[in-house]
Amino acid sequence: MKEFLQIIKKEFIHIFRDRLTLFLVLAIPILLVLLFGFTISTDIHHADISVLDLAEDSQSKALIDKITASGYFEVISYPMSESEIDEDFKNKNIKLAIIIPSHFEEQLTNEKFVTLQIINDVSDLNVASILNNYIKAILHDFTLSYNKINEADVPIDLSIHMMYNPEANCVYMFVPGIITMIMIIITALMASISLSREMETGTMRMLLIAPVKKVHVVIGKVIPYMILSFISTIIIIIISLVVFHMPMNGSIGLLLLLCVVFMLTAASFGMTISALVNTQLDAMMITMMGLFLPTAFLSGFLFPIDNMPYIFQLMANIFPGKWFIIALKDVMIKGSGIGDIWSYLLILFGMAMVLIVVSLRRLDRRR
Amino acid sequence: MSIISVTDLHKSYGSVHALKGISFNVEEGEIYGVVGPDGAGKSTLFNILTTLLLPDSGEVSVLHKDIRKDFLEIRKYIGYLPGTFSLYPDLSVEENLIFFATMYQSSIKENMGIIKPIWQQLSPFKNRPAGKLSGGMKQKLALCCALIHKPILLFLDEPTTGVDPVSRKEFWEILKTIQQQNISVLVSTPYMDEATLCDRIALLQEGQFIKMDSPQAIIDSFQGNLVTLHTHDIFNLLHLMEQCPFHCNFYPYGEHLHVIFYEDLTTILPSFEKFLQDNNQIYNNIQQIKPTIEDCFIEITTEKKNL
Repeated sequence: MKEFLQIIKKEFIHIFRDRLTLFLVLAIPILLVLLFGFTISTDIHHADISVLDLAEDSQSKALIDKITASGYFEVISYPMSESEIDEDFKNKNIKLAIIIPSHFEEQLTNEKFVTLQIINDVSDLNVASILNNYIKAILHDFTLSYNKINEADVPIDLSIHMMYNPEANCVYMFVPGIITMIMIIITALMASISLSREMETGTMRMLLIAPVKKVHVVIGKVIPYMILSFISTIIIIIISLVVFHMPMNGSIGLLLLLCVVFMLTAASFGMTISALVNTQLDAMMITMMGLFLPTAFLSGFLFPIDNMPYIFQLMANIFPGKWFIIALKDVMIKGSGIGDIWSYLLILFGMAMVLIVVSLRRLDRRR
Repeated sequence: MSIISVTDLHKSYGSVHALKGISFNVEEGEIYGVVGPDGAGKSTLFNILTTLLLPDSGEVSVLHKDIRKDFLEIRKYIGYLPGTFSLYPDLSVEENLIFFATMYQSSIKENMGIIKPIWQQLSPFKNRPAGKLSGGMKQKLALCCALIHKPILLFLDEPTTGVDPVSRKEFWEILKTIQQQNISVLVSTPYMDEATLCDRIALLQEGQFIKMDSPQAIIDSFQGNLVTLHTHDIFNLLHLMEQCPFHCNFYPYGEHLHVIFYEDLTTILPSFEKFLQDNNQIYNNIQQIKPTIEDCFIEITTEKKNL
């Protein structure tokens, strides 16, 4: 046991003496969260729009008020004709225009199918589709409240239902993704580099000759990186809760347990990679290409898994990031309990156990 | 009883036959040297004896224990110093020592007696990162780390390669004091001058021991008469020697040429000098000398080649 603690202590000395790496490890997560949160945000506020109100009745006014009150749109122009809308797109750089048909109120009263025309500037596809979603949501809301107040039954052709993320807030998407990436960088990458450095410099051979248990050597080396990545994760969670008001609907204890299990999985990937290669460079390349990139692309963090070709959907299953992100979102946003996410925990834990056994066997081999 | 006993040891890496049936014994308390050029199989032999590598065939016992079955037990009582610096460069001298002492469930205090002569030289630098020590000091620290658990048997794999001559001399003086503490030493070296400092040596070439004995006995068994001569144009002389009409072996030795004759020098040396003069060679200091281990090694290997 004394040897085990000494190995952990030694690894911490390595980490603390390498100030630049330590700084990067602690600063990168904070930078990433802030970057994603403030600059890569896909939320749009106060987009400039034009409204051509051909009805000019009380309901059309109410609709315009509702659109303005949402905060997503700023009506900067009220053109008198459709040709003026064209001008607005060219000269006033509006993102979207709405045309309210004449007899808008009358059509509503007669419970007829009402058609609103929306014109989009699709030169930026992302912005256009986001604004489209906003406007659909507002119209849907408007129709619902109209029906309720007037006990009417105007047909609703919108079926948008933004569950759990009613504002389509992208913080909910990237925080779990960043936590995943950070844990993979710190736990898998740093641990695999650290282990393969011992092999490259020959110190691992000194440790193998010593009568110390191999499991102590490997786990003792990995634990400091797990602690480091745990600290980073907590920092990310605090920033996302305080700065970006991400909800925390589930139990914090369960969230931390989930993080610890994922860290173990990431560490076991790092251990296995370092057991398979001989140099730090190989360890780094394989961790980046074989774990980091697939996790970024296949975990559902950047691209929805359901939209991928079937073969990629299958591949996504072997990377732990997918399971972790699903479980993390369930706990934080949906407020799921252990009863809901136990299967994900089990998958992550199972992966870790298999890999730990494989890497230990491989490290301790005598040819 | 032998502390290391090896019988017919074979080891291959794919198609490369690294060790081709080695047999030898190391007795308790002796410094046993394995001498051979790079690639002769020294490190493979050491890896097997230190339980890191499994042999393909052959009987190997270290400290009277089988290296296949009892490797965990063997590891407790052996010390190992690799040829390349294998300590933690960012840890201080003292931290490295404490770390390795703990790995062997020992402490610096417990075994200070054994490392004292080396530690006295190292202690002024005890807070310096090991990576910033000089080459000689690094090896002394590595030796301390290998001795800190008071091993019975010490393996030194080319401990002085790349170390300056003064530090090498000091290192061997330390080895002699270690031997006095009843620790057996198996040391490999490519330096022939170091071989004479061992009690017994084995000359390893291409995975086989070509000679095993005490350095003096090997020198005494030298076949032939060794002659040295000095020249400023060794290249030209070597070229000429290709056409030498006498039965001899020759090789450059610094700025000298060493020639081994297998006949009586009184008759052959004048003819040899005449051959050189006829071919316009300028040389001086031609004389018969006593062979060193290096001469013996070359003589044995070339003799083997000629067979």
